[in-house]
Amino acid sequence: MRLLVELAINGILMGSIYGLIALGLTLIFGIMKVINFAHGSFLMVGMFATYWMCTLTGLDPYVSLLIVVPFCFCLGYLVQNFLIKPVFKKEIKVREPIGVLLLTSGLWMFMDNTTLAIFGASYRTVKTPYAQVSYQLGDILLSAPQLYAFIGTIIATFCMYVFLRRTSLGKAIRATGQDRNTAELMGVNTYRIYNIAFGVGIALTGLAGGLLTPFFYIYPTVGFSFDIKAFIIVVLGGLGSIPGAILGGIIIGLIESVAAQFMTSTLTIVLAYVVFLLVLLFKPEGLFGFKGEW
Amino acid sequence: MKNARTGVVGCLTSSKFYTTLILLLVLFSIPLIIKNPVFLQLMILVFWYAYLTLSWNIVGGFAGQLSLGHAAFTGIGAYTSTVLFIQFGLSPWLGMLAGGTFAAIIAITIGYPCFRLRGAYFALSTIAFAEALKVLVENTREVFGIPIKGAQGLLVPLKGQSLINFQFLSKAHYYYVILIMMLVALFITYKITKSKLGYYLSAIRNDVDAARSLGINVSRCRLKAAILSAFLTAIGGTFYAQMLLFIDPAGIMGLYLSMEIVFIAIIGGRGTLMGPILGAFFMVPIAEFTRFYFGGQKVGVHFIIYGIALIAIMLFSPRGINDLIVRGYNLLFGEKGRKEGNFLGGKSYDSSRCSGNK
Repeated sequence: MRLLVELAINGILMGSIYGLIALGLTLIFGIMKVINFAHGSFLMVGMFATYWMCTLTGLDPYVSLLIVVPFCFCLGYLVQNFLIKPVFKKEIKVREPIGVLLLTSGLWMFMDNTTLAIFGASYRTVKTPYAQVSYQLGDILLSAPQLYAFIGTIIATFCMYVFLRRTSLGKAIRATGQDRNTAELMGVNTYRIYNIAFGVGIALTGLAGGLLTPFFYIYPTVGFSFDIKAFIIVVLGGLGSIPGAILGGIIIGLIESVAAQFMTSTLTIVLAYVVFLLVLLFKPEGLFGFKGEW
Repeated sequence: MKNARTGVVGCLTSSKFYTTLILLLVLFSIPLIIKNPVFLQLMILVFWYAYLTLSWNIVGGFAGQLSLGHAAFTGIGAYTSTVLFIQFGLSPWLGMLAGGTFAAIIAITIGYPCFRLRGAYFALSTIAFAEALKVLVENTREVFGIPIKGAQGLLVPLKGQSLINFQFLSKAHYYYVILIMMLVALFITYKITKSKLGYYLSAIRNDVDAARSLGINVSRCRLKAAILSAFLTAIGGTFYAQMLLFIDPAGIMGLYLSMEIVFIAIIGGRGTLMGPILGAFFMVPIAEFTRFYFGGQKVGVHFIIYGIALIAIMLFSPRGINDLIVRGYNLLFGEKGRKEGNFLGGKSYDSSRCSGNK
């Protein structure tokens, strides 16, 4: 029983990171109605950026987030402005646009393999004094960096919520997500909003990357496994839903850590795929029906 | 207007027959003139990718369903024929048909529910399916007592040169096999574009709801396309197994192969007759040269080029190289055509005739 509780808690901690990655994806989808296939690659960029900040300047990973997150925001903003926007504009009248999906899949292959060519396929880790530290809660051990990542996710989600609900920029973003044309009539510069939304989505992913670095291997194709999980989570939680993303993340984290007790750990992802396909087929609006809640 | 959908070929109507004949002669005489195995291997790969992309194009292009998991079908084909060959000594030529049939059955069971999904959802479900299958195969050592050896992969036992066993010593044999396979796939695609199914698919791609309201059975048409596509793709998988005599899940059913197929199709021109072949002729040699120059330690370098090419195509010519060539052709020869038309009766050159497909 104690083992199960410990597994469940570990699953929730890891799942919250999945949720944070999915949050960026779902934000981009909710506003722009496009799927960013390069999302995992941006996570990889966030992780590598944190890694190099730490190794070159000796900064603490959490301190280097102060630079990595704005960097990711700028990267996302520029990618959206110069690559995605032209394709997006061409397809504005198409009923089921997939141009952006294709473009971002090209970006994904480009980014992953460029990193692979430059840094090689080796696994890197960031050494921190607290990597091995764990807290004891009753008789359950919690790894410190995972706990920090969980706390970071909660804070980031709360900030996102306040940002989207309370600030005028957040309101403009939500309005654009709800109805582009009406938002435009209200004087919102929708393409600027798209740039910002994409930037924020990538910044959240960069944040997740930074929070992952203290306890996860860093390698060029690290994004892919997270990418697939983020898609699964976003569909589970309902595309475009913030609470859905976090809850979906925790569900996938739980499935992974608990199922690993009963089968080979590599097979747990198959279980996640099956859950994903079933949800897609029988409840495409997501498990919680939060759809369109902005 | 009859040729509006055939892209490059449509533009060459007048000299179409002779151009095709000369091209075929050249392609068939290459192994007689050039004996260099490296060059032949490159051509084999070009044809193989062109073949797979042509097969993909039936579903991904003409039916407009973006499948990102076609490697699942090459994997099914390769594994079915190889397992049958190892276990029962069944000729890969028959194993090929068995693999194709098996893949078609899988395509029906997976496609039937998934075709209800739209756009990106469908793409996601195909990735999930292909990856799930790959991970399953990687972690399965045997099925019903028949070893498939998981991630380690299967070796096709060497039985010396024989037609029955689909094993040849010279590259030229493989060259002819894959060339004919590619031409058959091209012919099938051509037939589809001329058939009722082709028109139905084109209508569905343009507007599903409108097509449905006209009485087209949308899911049946898509299923037909999926069955054909899966069958042909699986046969391509068998060819790969017989050529390399080794298959492993990561290579033959991995995401990278699926992506390569899609990228070649998009770069060449999705939903056009010649697009897949143009894409393969442009991209595969570049990919192979980078692979050659950067050696084994940097495996993915050619994907940098694929990525850049795809991004450039999406930005500047979303209909692919096919469209670029057609536009170039019109620019060069269209001017003359327009003048002639005006002279003959004020009938201006119909540029839409050669504009290929959306």
